Amino acid sequence: MSEEKKQTIKPVRENRTSLQLIINVVLIALVVLTYTYGWNVTQIDLSKLAAPSDGLKGLVGDLFHPDIVARDRQSYRAYRTYLIPCDAEHQRAGAVGEGISIMPDCGNIGDIVTIAGEGLRPNTSGTIAWRTQQGGTKILAQIETDDNGAFSFTTRVPEAPPGQTVGQHGSEVILRWEEGTLRMSETAKQVLAKMVETIFLALMATTMGVFLAVPISFLAARNVMATTRLGLTIYFLVRLFLNILRSVETLIWALIFIVWVGIGPFAGVLALTLHSVAALGKLYSEAVESINPGPVEAVQATGASRVQTVIYAILPQVMPPFLAFTIYRWDINVRMSTVIGLVGGGGIGFLLIQWINLIQYRQAATAVWAIVVVVATMDYFSAWIRKKVV
Amino acid sequence: MLLEIKNLTKTYDDGTQALKNVSFTLSEGEFVVLLGLSGSGKSTLLRCINRLVEPTSGTVLLNGQDVTAANGAELRRMRRDIGMVFQHFNLTRRSSVLRNTLSGRLGYNSTLRSALGIWSQADQQRAFQNLSRVGLLNKAYSRADELSGGQQQRVGIARALMQEPRLVLADEPVASLDPVLSHSILKYLEDLNHEGIAVLCSLHIPSLARRYATRVLALNDGNLMFNGLPEELDNERFKEIYGQDAESLED
Ligand SMILES: Nc1ncnc2c1ncn2[C@@H]1O[C@H](COP(=O)(O)OP(=O)(O)O)[C@@H](O)[C@H]1O
Ligand SMILES: [Mg+2]
Repeated sequence: MSEEKKQTIKPVRENRTSLQLIINVVLIALVVLTYTYGWNVTQIDLSKLAAPSDGLKGLVGDLFHPDIVARDRQSYRAYRTYLIPCDAEHQRAGAVGEGISIMPDCGNIGDIVTIAGEGLRPNTSGTIAWRTQQGGTKILAQIETDDNGAFSFTTRVPEAPPGQTVGQHGSEVILRWEEGTLRMSETAKQVLAKMVETIFLALMATTMGVFLAVPISFLAARNVMATTRLGLTIYFLVRLFLNILRSVETLIWALIFIVWVGIGPFAGVLALTLHSVAALGKLYSEAVESINPGPVEAVQATGASRVQTVIYAILPQVMPPFLAFTIYRWDINVRMSTVIGLVGGGGIGFLLIQWINLIQYRQAATAVWAIVVVVATMDYFSAWIRKKVV
Repeated sequence: MLLEIKNLTKTYDDGTQALKNVSFTLSEGEFVVLLGLSGSGKSTLLRCINRLVEPTSGTVLLNGQDVTAANGAELRRMRRDIGMVFQHFNLTRRSSVLRNTLSGRLGYNSTLRSALGIWSQADQQRAFQNLSRVGLLNKAYSRADELSGGQQQRVGIARALMQEPRLVLADEPVASLDPVLSHSILKYLEDLNHEGIAVLCSLHIPSLARRYATRVLALNDGNLMFNGLPEELDNERFKEIYGQDAESLED
């Protein structure tokens, strides 16, 4: 029985197969053509990946070297005079005093002098400079104090510019060190301020988005609106409006709002709000449309108004999905708010793009790490909330 | 006359003729049971009375007032007088029993106050009384979906009573319940009927009709086939309503 069937079917199949074959070949050719063109038009060049530039090495290095902490800078300065030439008071005795001494304390250019220090901050580096009476300064050497806070340096009195060779010269020692507790670097302070702005940008946009999207979602729900002809018209218009809003990306909206209200976080808030309204409006309205109509009818039947029906029969049903969608949107907005600054919409992205353009990779790395930490924390946080409430 | 239905016809958008020229009246104090096979138009008829379904033609008069011509606030005021009890209870499952009960009073309250969840002392008192009447006072603060089916239907009755209705429409109120619970629910309806509230209740079990009805209506394919006393519902009538294949009156 089955054998016979196969035999009668076979020739038909073969016809089909040859046609199918042609179609398949054409299809494969089209696919190959498409991807070949795509490869070229996007300038894919894998060899570039294999031979990283110096810039990349710097970038990767700095990525693990972010500019986060610093200590207070302290310095110590001491000065002793050296008279050229000696006079009655200065008899090559040496000027001993607090901090440093200079032996002898008068003489001529080219004489040997010893500059020494005692009781200074131990193991601290600094510089020794020679100054003329007129203020000309020459760095003589880098020094480092020993465990007891002492140093000694012998040199010749350096040549001075013409006209500055006599008078009250002197030696200046400056020690510099970092002291005190670790504190945030300037970069970290900037990043923190912008990160706060970023999070609030997401918060404002999400909140405003939710407040606008909730009423709109009821207007965009068929089961709520389709009771009258006017309602149905509003439903279609609101749907159309949401679809148009959603088809434009957040960054594009940011660029438009920057033209409108200027560069800054307000433009970012507006852009994120608009996109949140569009996305949440659709998700919310789908939740409204999938509710159980029974309670709605029951409340309507008691003589309740439309708004009362929404509050008593629809809202309790859509609360869990609304919450879930809101948390999901919050996650997206936190992410988006970190990049909206790239186009000038406020937040951390503004600093990031600025530092990258200035090749300040250590600073850029600080911003990148801040983004990673904040986004990961927020993800964790919203997962926790989701677990609690949904 | 409490309720007067004249030439009621309903054709759904897809062309289904669910009601064909149905006319009948219903007086205060009556307990009318509506019989008919599934799909015969019982739900459509009940829903046309409070305009959950828009009739295609015909009129519904409640106390001489035209429900079919009313709109907006006027319709909502008329709906207050008509309580409704549903086969699937239709409670807001995530809300408390008390809130579900109070929602029966929405037609009497301003949108703003009720939106904020503000209820007068009198309304709260009324809610507790009605819950106590259906034996669920101790469940007032439970979530509705924590209750059994029979309990949920009793909340449905309490909600309808909140309206202080003149007429209660019950659409197969016992069809999703265990048969042993049927009498319990129908007795609540009978009690409120004895207090002067008219009842129009669809059922699909004829024996229950004979037990509770003061009068029986029967629909077949959208036509009103029978309008009379339960005793008049003999085997011949029965076969007209339920078709020739139907076996017996007793079940
Ligand atoms: N919303 C609707 N749209 C189209 N046809 C419907 C709708 N509701 C009910 N019907 C049809 O109308 C007829 C009567 O239905 P219904 O009033 O629910 O009967 P019953 O309650 O007696 O089972 C059935 O044929 C049903 O399929
Ligand atoms: Mg039905």
